[in-house]
Amino acid sequence: MKNRITVSISDMKISRKRGELLITHSLGSCLGLSAWDAVAGVGGLIHCLLPRASSPDVKNPFMYVNLGVPRMIRKMVSMGCTKGSMVFKAAGCGRMLLIQNQFDTGAQNLATLTALFAKNGVKLAAEDVGGSIPRTMSLDVETGLVTISSQGKEWEI
Amino acid sequence: MISRDEIISQTSSLPQIPAPVARIMTYLGKPDADLNTVASFIEYDPGLTVNVLRMANSSFFGGGGAITTVKDALFRLGMRRIVQMVIASGVAPNARGPVSGYGLARGELLRFSIAIGVAAELVAAKTGIAAPDYTFTAGLLSNIGKVVMGKFLEMDPGPVLSLAAKENVSFEQAERTLFGIDHAELGAILLKRWELPEPIVTCVRWHLDPCSAPAQDVALDLVHVGRVLATMAGIGQGVDGLSYHVCQASFDRLKLTPEAATASMEGMVSGLEEIEAILGQV
Repeated sequence: MKNRITVSISDMKISRKRGELLITHSLGSCLGLSAWDAVAGVGGLIHCLLPRASSPDVKNPFMYVNLGVPRMIRKMVSMGCTKGSMVFKAAGCGRMLLIQNQFDTGAQNLATLTALFAKNGVKLAAEDVGGSIPRTMSLDVETGLVTISSQGKEWEI
Repeated sequence: MISRDEIISQTSSLPQIPAPVARIMTYLGKPDADLNTVASFIEYDPGLTVNVLRMANSSFFGGGGAITTVKDALFRLGMRRIVQMVIASGVAPNARGPVSGYGLARGELLRFSIAIGVAAELVAAKTGIAAPDYTFTAGLLSNIGKVVMGKFLEMDPGPVLSLAAKENVSFEQAERTLFGIDHAELGAILLKRWELPEPIVTCVRWHLDPCSAPAQDVALDLVHVGRVLATMAGIGQGVDGLSYHVCQASFDRLKLTPEAATASMEGMVSGLEEIEAILGQV
């Protein structure tokens, strides 16, 4: 049985313990992003509530895609991960029905991640985003397996 | 398939509203109700007293500490506000347990409910709107119908989810099609049975769809928008997830900007912890 490490809203966890599973529940419009480096044996998972911070000086950078994601990557690089061997997978970014674009946080979270990755020449290996389902996302630190569960079903991405 | 009438009859299987809350509400219906008597009713119940004092002292409700008696709390925050807190702390325990029909573990429905109340108040603050006293309480109670549908009746959400996906309709529209009633209307029926104030009942009835409400109400708009923000944040989500309509007219009436919505979501995450620590223990 894997040791489950919960990543809450506006939170980030990194692990290199083979028996650990990083897991985040209740991804609505939030972005869940996993990063895994098979060579370094390190995995990271972040749960961002909002796309951008209004200023760089915030209490919790992991709340925001534009601050939290680079911080997670920098931390993993400091633990031996390299840009070439890291695998990124995204989930969440759901939307409510009939929501107007300017309030569609899910789409904005995804757009911010996409722009950030494009700027840095990084690609997503997989994504399970959009729609109106709630998602739980987990990363197995040992195997790099990313699993999504929702409404009683479970699948890998 | 269970009928609308059978579902409504199940509201009687829920615990009644706590006696001290009922007593206070009955008393407040009298034209000569006075503050000292209300304070003594609250003080008669140690649990209520503790909760009222903790909420009155919480930074979220602007108490700022140093309130040690119910009378002080009434004086500082006003009688109507305190009564809302009494209702909140009396009714919240009903939402604390797991709600299997909606796939909610213990504590999740209460967390979602608190987030809605907190977000509604924050939206008011960010838009400079004076929120009616009952806004927080209406937000907190807005999901009470889920307790009946999902806990006592243990509705199988499968057919509702399938219908919502197939017809591309909201979760509550699918509930209405299958059962003749949705959890918002059922919640309002329950609160009416408990004789809660009419503005709260109306807010709960229409909080999923203020665009169809017979009358506009600023608290209803605040609770709807608060619910949208809490849902997007993923707080206490069940199987129904984000499968609900957003009424843009509520956003327009509140003149909510995307910046104010973002700031409200930021504040909701921290405000939630404080109120949950108080109401989560009741």
